[in-house]
Amino acid sequence: MEKEDILAAVNAIFVDVLDNEDIKVGYETIANDVEDWDSLTHIELVVAIEKHFKIRFTSQDIMRWENVGEMIDCILRKI
Amino acid sequence: MLFSVGDFFEQRFVISEMVYNSFLQTFKDQNPLHTQADFAVLHGFRDKVMHGNILNGFLSFFIGECLPTKNVIIHSQEIQYKKPVYLHEELNFTAEVTGVYESVNAIEFKFGFKNTDGQMLAKGKFQIGVLK
Repeated sequence: MEKEDILAAVNAIFVDVLDNEDIKVGYETIANDVEDWDSLTHIELVVAIEKHFKIRFTSQDIMRWENVGEMIDCILRKI
Repeated sequence: MLFSVGDFFEQRFVISEMVYNSFLQTFKDQNPLHTQADFAVLHGFRDKVMHGNILNGFLSFFIGECLPTKNVIIHSQEIQYKKPVYLHEELNFTAEVTGVYESVNAIEFKFGFKNTDGQMLAKGKFQIGVLK
């Protein structure tokens, strides 16, 4: 799976979890850029991503993410 | 982690007069389906139907009081009602861990309420967070 494919899948998960068809996340996107991306939504997003890609993150993985690009790099390492 | 996929829990609940009346007095849903037996019978039920959200009260009790830790918070829950529930009915509640997400301290369960004949009355899923 290419990085662009993962970004597209992650974007679809954001759209679904946040119930907002207009969301377009990119590699540089951070939580402050996305309306409603709060701590509870973050949990929902992580769980949805883990389920979708059939992977498991660690709490250390998550704490290292500075933006969506780092999340996607982490997914790439695990699939 | 306190929970593992497959962990199974059971609990018995009864919709007593006290539970029913407390719900009625607290939330004021006096819809005739819930308060008038003749209305319920007219619509094909054998007696007045209990409020579906009474089951969510039992679910709240289970999550808050019956799990191995009190350090929990509900993230989400979904419930599907399959059959009506009546006053004084005994409910066998089961819940099973279906997902453990250690990265975010989240646990996912599926649950069901069955009557004493083994018929599924309601089922669903919920997710909790384990507080640090």
